[in-house]
Amino acid sequence: MRGEDLLRRIGRELTQAWVILVQDARTYYLSTPMIMWGLLMPFFLFLPSLMQEEMTLQKAMPSLLAMITFLSASSTGPVILPLERRAGTYDRLLAAPVSLVTVLLGKSLVGVVFCLAVSVISVAVGLIFFDVHIARPGLLVAGVFMSSLAFSALGILFVSGSAQSPGRVMMPTMLLRWPLLFISGVFIPRDRMAPWLRALSYLSPLTYAQDVLTHAVLGSVRQVTEIIKPCGRVIEDYLLVMAGVHNPLLDLAILLCLVVLFFLPALRLHHRSQRLGY
Amino acid sequence: MNDDCAIRASNLTKVYGDLVAVDHIDIEVHTGEIFGFLGPNGSGKTTTVRMLTTLLEPTEGTALINGYDVCRQRYQVKQQFGLVPEESNVYTALSTWDNLMYTARLYCMPRGERERRACELLALFALEDKRDVKVQFLSKGMRRRLTVAMALIHRPPVLFLDEPLIGLDVHCAQLIKAQIRQLNAEGTTIFVTTHQIEVANQLCDQVAIMDLGRIAAVDRPERLKRAFQSVQSVEVALDGQETDQHEGLKALPGVTEVLKQGDKVRLYTADPSAVIEEVVGYARSQGLHVLSLNTLGPSLEDAFLAITGQPMAAAQARFHREACRECPMRDTCDRG
Repeated sequence: MRGEDLLRRIGRELTQAWVILVQDARTYYLSTPMIMWGLLMPFFLFLPSLMQEEMTLQKAMPSLLAMITFLSASSTGPVILPLERRAGTYDRLLAAPVSLVTVLLGKSLVGVVFCLAVSVISVAVGLIFFDVHIARPGLLVAGVFMSSLAFSALGILFVSGSAQSPGRVMMPTMLLRWPLLFISGVFIPRDRMAPWLRALSYLSPLTYAQDVLTHAVLGSVRQVTEIIKPCGRVIEDYLLVMAGVHNPLLDLAILLCLVVLFFLPALRLHHRSQRLGY
Repeated sequence: MNDDCAIRASNLTKVYGDLVAVDHIDIEVHTGEIFGFLGPNGSGKTTTVRMLTTLLEPTEGTALINGYDVCRQRYQVKQQFGLVPEESNVYTALSTWDNLMYTARLYCMPRGERERRACELLALFALEDKRDVKVQFLSKGMRRRLTVAMALIHRPPVLFLDEPLIGLDVHCAQLIKAQIRQLNAEGTTIFVTTHQIEVANQLCDQVAIMDLGRIAAVDRPERLKRAFQSVQSVEVALDGQETDQHEGLKALPGVTEVLKQGDKVRLYTADPSAVIEEVVGYARSQGLHVLSLNTLGPSLEDAFLAITGQPMAAAQARFHREACRECPMRDTCDRG
């Protein structure tokens, strides 16, 4: 393909991803499963955290935003794609001159925009009614964007099978998502976790989202040495390698890597599903 | 091979586990032709269409749409066709107009052109007054018309229609058939799958009959019909005190088989006009009134029987048994 043709093709595919995004936003944002899994669930899970003694919305805001990005974004694909498969509209997309990458990118961006919208509303309510202060607004936008993109890609990975009902995807994926919520510092701050659990938290994508959003809202920098002291030698070595995770830019870089890490296998599995005729 | 082929498949095969859904079929559809793909449920028609429209990768074989390979040039292939699947796949939460606009945007049509084309299609399919109505409030026939309109928005040179008339009322079916003819007259190549032989008979230039994933016969409809002239029949409804009309009718000259269908009796024959005279004579001699008397052409069931040597119901049952054997839910399934 010539350079000019390639550029035209890329432009065309990006336009098509935008068309899919707008269409899905109009069709699914107000659908019952989307409101249930993407909106009510994070807020209801957040309420108990807010009820803790000495907890303020300022302190809890990073956790709320992390839960919104995690639960909402990772629910978008599992809600939309099974509904589209059942209605046959997914076939309509696949039969159009649109690449599978563009289709899945469009579907991922639906989750990103949903999370951005819900986060903006949450932050606006915090700023206006609860005197919440955002330390680094630019980092907050970048953090919400990258987190929701990573978790949207995770949602697309979840739904790479043949399920034709959102419930059949959401239920099994909750088995994975619940433990991630508990080990990522969303409910319990990581510095209060047992060393082995703290070490485990580094395997959770949500840890990096929580961390960057904490930086963005509270502006604090945590001391890694305090965390790794009680750990064994092997884990300590591992954590030293990962020590920079408390730099918000590294959090963003890890989230970007996670986007690729989730999206590429998702693409491969969706292609396999298509080949097998799911 | 002819160079004017819009669709050409050679050795096209799809295998699911042990089940061969499509078994090394060859198809040639000439540009500007209406090609009918006939067969019972489970014979492999939809699987073939899905392979030809890039929705399913063939296990073996190749297919070209307007010269583009469905496996290696998917992007170019997708620009060549419009697809009307068996189920109307429209966005029920959107209006008729928005469905058309969305499809046009997916094909990157410029704004002015897509609006002009959408208006044209709304008029063509008598949906103008439903333009701003959400699709969830449209009837099945209207949704079907909209599905066809959406497939035509980008003026594709090839149109695939999978059971386009299934479940539609007569008026709607006539409208869609008229549009298919009109499109074809304007140069669109049409590939239509159906299990209704009459649809193929009325529309198609050429027909292929599928049986368990294989093409059992390909020919012009009239030639195929000639192959099973012996399965024509006369359907008669008699009113009277006769307790055993069945035996009396079976004994009539020229009748090869008798089948009771509700309050009617179907008499199979190679010579319907002679049998009609015999039936009228029989009714008069027995003091019976003829309530209705019709000659019937061969059904797909009859055609299928004549060409493959087995009833269509048996073929369908065999397909379902094999499909169930492959199904991962066979142990918990209550379909028997």
